[in-house]
Amino acid sequence: MYRLFLALRYLLTRPINLLGVFGIALSVWALVVVVSLFSGFLAVIARHVHGASADVTVSGLPPGTGWPGLQAELRGETNVAAVAPRVVHYGLLHRPGRRPGPPALPGRTALHGGDQPFLFVLGVDPAAESQATGFAGWLVDPVIPAELRAADPREPLRDRGDRAAVLVGLDRMRAEGLRPGDELVLTTGTMRDREDGARVTAQVQIPLVVAGAFKTQHGGFDGNNLFVGIEVLRRHLFDGASVVQEAAVRVADPQDLDGTAARLSRAVQRAVDRGDQRARGIAQTWRQKNAGFLESVEHQRALLKIVLVVILVTAAFLMLATLSMMVTEKTADIGILAAMGGTPLGTTQVFLACGLTITGAGVALGLGTGCITAVYLEEVRQVLRWATGIDLFPLEVYNLDRVPWHLDPWWLLQVTLMAFATGFLASALPALRAARHDPLVSLRNA
Amino acid sequence: MTAPVLAAASVTKTFQLGRQPIPVLRGVDFAVAAGEIVALLGASGAGKSTLLHVLGLLDPPTSGEVLYDGRAVQHLSVRERALLRHRYVGFVFQFYHLIPELTALQNVLLAGMMATPILRYLRERSERRRRAVALLEQVGLGERLRHRPAELSGGERQRVAIARALLAEPRVILADEPTGNLDSATAKGVVDLMFSLQRQRGLGFVLVTHDEALARRADRVVRMVDGRVVG
Ligand SMILES: Nc1ncnc2c1ncn2[C@@H]1O[C@H](COP(=O)(O)OP(=O)(O)O)[C@@H](O)[C@H]1O
Ligand SMILES: [Mg+2]
Repeated sequence: MYRLFLALRYLLTRPINLLGVFGIALSVWALVVVVSLFSGFLAVIARHVHGASADVTVSGLPPGTGWPGLQAELRGETNVAAVAPRVVHYGLLHRPGRRPGPPALPGRTALHGGDQPFLFVLGVDPAAESQATGFAGWLVDPVIPAELRAADPREPLRDRGDRAAVLVGLDRMRAEGLRPGDELVLTTGTMRDREDGARVTAQVQIPLVVAGAFKTQHGGFDGNNLFVGIEVLRRHLFDGASVVQEAAVRVADPQDLDGTAARLSRAVQRAVDRGDQRARGIAQTWRQKNAGFLESVEHQRALLKIVLVVILVTAAFLMLATLSMMVTEKTADIGILAAMGGTPLGTTQVFLACGLTITGAGVALGLGTGCITAVYLEEVRQVLRWATGIDLFPLEVYNLDRVPWHLDPWWLLQVTLMAFATGFLASALPALRAARHDPLVSLRNA
Repeated sequence: MTAPVLAAASVTKTFQLGRQPIPVLRGVDFAVAAGEIVALLGASGAGKSTLLHVLGLLDPPTSGEVLYDGRAVQHLSVRERALLRHRYVGFVFQFYHLIPELTALQNVLLAGMMATPILRYLRERSERRRRAVALLEQVGLGERLRHRPAELSGGERQRVAIARALLAEPRVILADEPTGNLDSATAKGVVDLMFSLQRQRGLGFVLVTHDEALARRADRVVRMVDGRVVG
């Protein structure tokens, strides 16, 4: 009993120990808030990415893969609810007669796109695409103003003469002042056989007419993609052959997503593999397909964790310093503790209890304020913006309506354990020094 | 004559100063019985404090035996010896050794906490508090319960230390020049108090002093010269 009692009396008579409490509280607070923000962000981003993707995408198909055969193969998997064919190409989007040069640094802002004209073009079958992905919803998102919407969302890609209908991301529509009915050209290239048998790149110009805007929650997708009818690309690039380069797949049971993708990969490879190592066909879940992007956010979260743990260690050093001072002051008491029946172990425990009390107070304070801050970070952002004009978090860029948060109990537990582990180590050093102090030295000296 | 509560048999103690051995106790036989006041008299450096520390199990003897109720304690573990010290011995020192952060009452209570698990302590809290207050009243400090050591005079501090030594109901008081730091009037008050408490409780009492007059008030005087008991 005396250990805890003495520890508390020692601490309460020394306000300097609040330094350690605040230091640990601050680092715990930061570990909670920053990781909650990033985890919430990651969850929202993943939802947005998923919303702009098919559950499973089959790609990497050998050139000339025909749709009927592939479709039959995919439908053979029981967990497949819907499939849609896609031809995926790329090109430079511009107004007729005004072809821009290539961007200075291609892909420089590829995360969001929208500020460079080099784009992917997805040739889709709107009816099938609407079954397999959220395509139909992307055309009628409430934020798309009526004058920018496709005239008939059920049949959005209605060509006008030789001009193929194109759907453009909402932000790009606005940035470039496009309206439905505007004429555009996609300049691209394809490989063709010349009469002498050599394969050469040939320029292709596809005349387009804007049919309307689309909007997913994933800005990176909207900025970098266009939709045209699949037959348009087949006609211009493959002489009208019923080829397919990608298939979008919706699964019936999302629980079995990874298993389904793995089975589809095997099925596709069985059906289409022609020995070309680079084009054997692969089925990827939306997560796998966007792994680079999602992992980069996760990577940032991991880096921040490391930085913040360093702050925690620094706070523990602060506590080590104040505890060391205290041990030096309190060696005078060690003699009388021994005389009253204390042991060196008991002395160690007194100072360990000091350190763990500081740690515990810091952890409690940090967890409490951290959780509150995490949950109300949106309100904090608004107050800060109102008061100083500084915006903590650019919500619009990520299609968010508030600062996201996600408090993972497992992470809170990890933070607590880490704090106590460092707090324990930081108090063990001075505590052991106290235990090595000879009580008789204290007793003989006044 | 009752059997000794604490005894030392042929105890030697040699300190090592670098490679130089310093013999401080050179074969001491000593005993104190319940209800008996023994004055340990000797010049400074004779080894009185060292003998007290050895008797109180704060310092192991280099050779010889320390006996508690006739039982040797040398083979006991650190923990067991600490517990024995807690149960048998109340120390009073020349320089009080009160803990400055604690009030008089808390300093006394602390002695009772040493060997008590927290839950039992909390259960017995009010009873223990009552006993500590009663002890402080007995030593004349009923009005000073909440004073810190810094707010008390030397005599008052020593009275707190006496109350603290008595709280755990020890069988023996080992007092190392308890009045060495007090003026003679205050010293007399403190000694009178200790003797009366000792008589009430029938405690063994070892009083280290170099004051001949004080020593004459004891039941028995043991003189130490150069690490040996003489006469
Ligand atoms: N740790 C130690 N190392 C070396 N010598 C010591 C140590 N402790 C005590 N002594 C010596 O032992 C002798 C006896 O000391 P002490 O028992 O305090 O005498 P007294 O209490 O009778 O004045 C002294 O000469 C002192 O210097
Ligand atoms: Mg002495």
